[in-house]
Amino acid sequence: MDQQDTKPHRWGMAIDLDRCTGCEACVAACHAENNLPLSTPDSAAKGRAFHWIRIDRYYEGAFPDIKVKFMPVLCQQCDEAPCEPVCPVYATYHNAEGLNVQVYNRCVGTRYCANNCPYSVRFFNWFEPVWPEPLTLQLNPDVFVRPVGVMEKCTFCSQRIKRAELEAKQESRSLRDGEVQPACVQSCPAEAMVFGDLNDPASRVSRLAQSGRATRFMEDLGTQPKVFYLKRGE
Amino acid sequence: MTQRTDDFEVPLWRLGILLSALSVAGAIAAVQPIEFPHNKHVAKGLDCIDCHITVDTEAAAGLPSVRKCMLCHSKFAKTGPGVQKLLVYSKQRREVPWERVYMFEPEAQVKFQHAAHIWAKVECKTCHGEVEKMTVAQLAVRHTMGRCLTCHRERHATEDCAACHF
Repeated sequence: MDQQDTKPHRWGMAIDLDRCTGCEACVAACHAENNLPLSTPDSAAKGRAFHWIRIDRYYEGAFPDIKVKFMPVLCQQCDEAPCEPVCPVYATYHNAEGLNVQVYNRCVGTRYCANNCPYSVRFFNWFEPVWPEPLTLQLNPDVFVRPVGVMEKCTFCSQRIKRAELEAKQESRSLRDGEVQPACVQSCPAEAMVFGDLNDPASRVSRLAQSGRATRFMEDLGTQPKVFYLKRGE
Repeated sequence: MTQRTDDFEVPLWRLGILLSALSVAGAIAAVQPIEFPHNKHVAKGLDCIDCHITVDTEAAAGLPSVRKCMLCHSKFAKTGPGVQKLLVYSKQRREVPWERVYMFEPEAQVKFQHAAHIWAKVECKTCHGEVEKMTVAQLAVRHTMGRCLTCHRERHATEDCAACHF
């Protein structure tokens, strides 16, 4: 547990928009990994659908020469997160690894954070989550099931980060680049998503983030997101 | 655990915590289907990890299966009243429905990992008391967040909320 002498990680993600086909495998994987409640057409109509990661669609041109462009949007883990200063109980804060953490047992459900999030990636549990019968058996034991009345959001699969850190510790080595994979990254068939340590200049995600193609979502707001979108070719 | 009992250099603060916890929580007794004597097994030279085998690899320390108990008890120490009960479970091919002694309330929303603590060289007795002197395992140490954090601060371990609550 001696983490003082090692440089802390700074987790980030790069998403290649040229590769994304909008298949939504990441969305399904995220639901399974993180015990997300089911989102039905009914809940979506009420604006209560839960998707820690969603695929935004942009249409270019007019029918029949229409082009659909996809963009996966998840919590951007902003360095200057607008959700953090508005929380009256410090339920959301920045940790040493640069993750924007939501502490469920501190949350009192004011929903200020979700209202202040420009990316709309925070979700409030209006009801106790329920799953139809066989699905209760597939809940991930590594992730807490959030009760009614708390806010939740993408964690960059911090349970996987922790597991990988422990495995590395048991083999007395440091984490290898690409060893930690959130569920969305792991499931992406086009390998459009890359996850890694932005503090390590040699990591794949750092090199992609510093490449000329990298942009950040609504960067002009000054939120300093840690998710980098690689610009699509024309 | 046998090597650890010889260690007289138990820091005073730890004894203090143990004593105060005993006064608060020591009276709570768990009733088990078999009165498993930890002290006898430790006296025979067994270590905690010999039966709780996933303690250094997994989140949960794990309980031994009846088959594991029978590895030894099919060969010797077959007569005691506890072992007779065990033999019944073994014949019926059932597991022993042990009562949990230590657990976090679901409301605590803690994802505790044994393995991380074993690798940080935290001794079993820091959180579980002197089980080697107990018969049936009893709740000897109250697991509050204050206790977790005190130890984390002393050992300069992480104090990040997301380390345990996620």
